[in-house]
Formats: sequence, C-alpha cells, structure tokens
Amino acid sequence: MDISMLSAFSNQMADAVERVAKSLVMVNGRARQPATGIAYADDIVLTADHVLERENNLTVQTHDDRVLGAQIIGRDASTDLAVLRVQGLGVPLATAAAGARAGQLALAVGRPSPDGVMASLGVVSKVGSSLRIGRSSAILERYIQTDAIPYPGFSGGALVDVTGAVFGLLTTGLVRGAAMVIPMDIALKVASALTKQGYVKRGYLGIVSQQVRLPPAQRSDAQEYGLLIVRVEENSPAERGGLLIGDILLAVEGQPINDADDLMAVLHGDRVGKPVAVRVSRGGIAQTLTVVVGQKS
Amino acid sequence: MKRSPLAVDQAFADMVEAAQASIVRIDGGGRGVGTGIIWRSDAAHSQVVTNAHVVAGITHHNGTGLCIVTADNRRFAAQRLASDSQLDLALLGLAVGGLPTARIGDSASLRVGELVFAVGNPWGQAGVVTAGVISGLGCMAVRRKGGTAPYIRSDVLLAPGNSGGPLLNAAGAVIGVNAMIFGGDLSVAIPSHVVAEWIADGDWR
Repeated sequence: MDISMLSAFSNQMADAVERVAKSLVMVNGRARQPATGIAYADDIVLTADHVLERENNLTVQTHDDRVLGAQIIGRDASTDLAVLRVQGLGVPLATAAAGARAGQLALAVGRPSPDGVMASLGVVSKVGSSLRIGRSSAILERYIQTDAIPYPGFSGGALVDVTGAVFGLLTTGLVRGAAMVIPMDIALKVASALTKQGYVKRGYLGIVSQQVRLPPAQRSDAQEYGLLIVRVEENSPAERGGLLIGDILLAVEGQPINDADDLMAVLHGDRVGKPVAVRVSRGGIAQTLTVVVGQKS
Repeated sequence: MKRSPLAVDQAFADMVEAAQASIVRIDGGGRGVGTGIIWRSDAAHSQVVTNAHVVAGITHHNGTGLCIVTADNRRFAAQRLASDSQLDLALLGLAVGGLPTARIGDSASLRVGELVFAVGNPWGQAGVVTAGVISGLGCMAVRRKGGTAPYIRSDVLLAPGNSGGPLLNAAGAVIGVNAMIFGGDLSVAIPSHVVAEWIADGDWR
C-alpha cells in the first residue's frame, strides 16, 4: 500500500494552513470571544462586521504575537463585512483562490485565541447565487456554503483551498449559525467601496410592491409577472419620478422585472444618483417614467 | 509518480484496514462499551491503553467483569493495571501474548491541518472510521509534574464508544488517544507521547 501518498496529502493540508495562518489576525472587538481577520492589503484587514461590537479600543494580534491598535475604515452590516486599518501590520497578505466548485476540499481557518490558528476540514458544499441577506433585502450575488466546522471565533476567518489560497471570508453572522462564505472577489469589491466612501452604495426607489401575474396581452417569453405597487414612500425617488399606487412595474432600463429580486439586481450601486427608465402599466396602458435612483440608507 | 484520486482513496482504505487489527472493544458485563489500543504484546502478556472513564465503572462494580474483544472477535479477560483520571488514561493487562500491536507515531511535532482518523465503536458499532484534521493544539492544567499536559483538538466526529480509541495520522500510526473529556463539538485526544511517558514513568504502579 502507498502510505507516502496519504502523508504527502496530509502535509499539503498542513502547509495550506501554515501559509494562510500568517495572514490571519485575531480581532478583539467584543467583550467575550475574539474573532478573526484577513490581511489582504498593506495595513488593511478584512473582518466580519458583527464581531465588532464596539467602535473604539479595537486591537488585532498577529501570528508573531504583536498586539496592534486598529481603526474601522468602513463597515457594512448587510454583507457583514468591515475593513480595519492597522498601522505597522507587516504580515504576509492573503491570496485569493480561483472560483470555488462544489465538492472541492476546503479548510476553514481562524485565529480565535492567542494559542495559534485552528482549522477544520470540509468541502465546498454549494456555490449559490442571489442570497437575500439581512433586513435591508440586499442581495449577495454569489456565496459559498461549507460543511467545515466554524469554531467559535472563526467569523472573519478564511475558507481556503488545499494550497492555502482564500476562497472567501467565513461568517456565521449572515445566516444564523450556518457557515457562509463571502467569495473573495465580492468581499474585495465591498471592501474597496468601504475604503473609498465608508459605506456601500445600494440603489433604492421607495416602493412597496407585490408580484402579480400580467394579463395575457402584456405577457412575453421573458416576462409573465410584474410588481404591483401597493405603497409609495413620501419624498422617495419613486414619488418624485411620478410612480403611483396601482402601477404595475414592468421593466427598469429595459430589464424585465418579474419579481423583487430582479428589481434589487437592477438597482445596483452604480445606478445611485442616476436617472433610469421605469416602464409601468397604468390602467392597462404601458408608459415609461424617469426616476432618479436614491441611496438606501 | 502519478497520483490519481482513486489511488489516494485506496491508500486511505488500506491504511485503515491495517490499523484495525490492533484496536479492541472494551466490554464490561453490560455496561458501556469503549475502545482500546493494543500498546504492547510479548510472548505471554499484552497491555491495552484506553480511557480511565471507560473502565472506571466496570472494575469498581465487578473486578472480573472487564473484557476486551479483538478485531478478529477473540475475547479476553483484562485487569486494570493503572488509571489516571486527570489524563483520562487507563492501562489494562491481559494474560495472553502475540497480539498485533499498534504502531505509535510521533505526536511531539504535530501540525494544524494534518489529516487524522479515528477508529472506534461509537454507540456500540464495531470499527467505525471517521476522518478530519488536527484543529488545534492546546495545553490543559493537570495536577502532575509540570502542571500542564498537551492535548490535540480535531474535527473528527466522535461519539460515546469512541473513547479510548486511537487518533491515527496519515501513515496509520497512533498519535493520540481519543478522550472527548471537554465535550462540545471539539474532539480531544491525549497525544501518544504523553501516553508513552505516563506508562514509562510508572508512577501509576
């Protein structure tokens, strides 16, 4: 039998943990259990928003046992991400893995205590799309689920492949208790917005709607449903643009709106402050209005 | 050398099969079942390592009730030679020789992320294998020389009945004795070098 092959595989996983371990810091931002953060740029650490229960007196502890002060640059409760600046961090930076595939081996790695990193083994259980998160009804366009155990303090830690490259940031704060992973490319996009302006741009119209089936004459291959507007908020972009209760929202910028997720997808941050063409059915007659997309607070 | 995923899988199964021979079931006249490791065996005697808590009740209630069952289903009476409730270790003596002994690995230089396997008898099912990695390495306070003892945390799935069984490395060598003494979702094992020192010290005699 070939035991050397198994040993080589085992060593490779220990190497993967060792490689990412130097990029992981312990984050002290709450009273009890410390959490983890990932160093991804010089003096910059990405962590989970929910592990920062205070804004001041934040510290991180590095792999070589240095305790350093940290400041919040920006945080976003919707995606459960926060960016910290740590002067003189000086640790190796994490590298992102190529896209994850279901079934790939994965290690969850965190630094929940000063005793060193911890790791658990699992697989990429699912690479999903369009996860509606939080009360803000923000949409995470892609996410990773894993069956690797998220030990206490693993939020803000990394899910890595067998080479130690980072699939994404691990958090149990998005879906209560479950180990969810925000893919690194998405996390870095949010982080870049947080670094630039301290918050994430999210478009908003200010309507409450419900899905309705369109009359046969208005249906098409791409569209069977629309959104019936049941409320228009005062002083909202929708009110200013002339949307009325009873209108059926059909399309925004030519994109058919079959459900609320379609609407969320089209109201991405780049559209904030810009006019969009909103096609509605009013009294059975289609017409197009112009609405300037607002910033969701 | 070509490394196909199937070859790794085969190596896995071969390694586990080879390790099974030195793993025994601890039976105590109807009381709870645990697992043990054949640590030594000469011409006429053998010694089995298990958890103190596995055998604590058994010998106390009935000095002759302690039995071990080998992987090839032979049954032998065992005597408790020593036990240490802090390390959760017990050493059993058998008046039979020539049993297959476990290969003991070096547990003094373990790394987080290393592949590990547990073999045991969870819920009374014989020879169940679970796999995972070393999750962390810690130290616990004990009332012994030095005042602390190292332990291994892993993410292998353990259940009652795994207690006293081996934690094996990728080479199939025993690097720890599963103890689960802290409960919760962390499986805890006593490193094999701690077990070896405990036996060699002989302060249990």
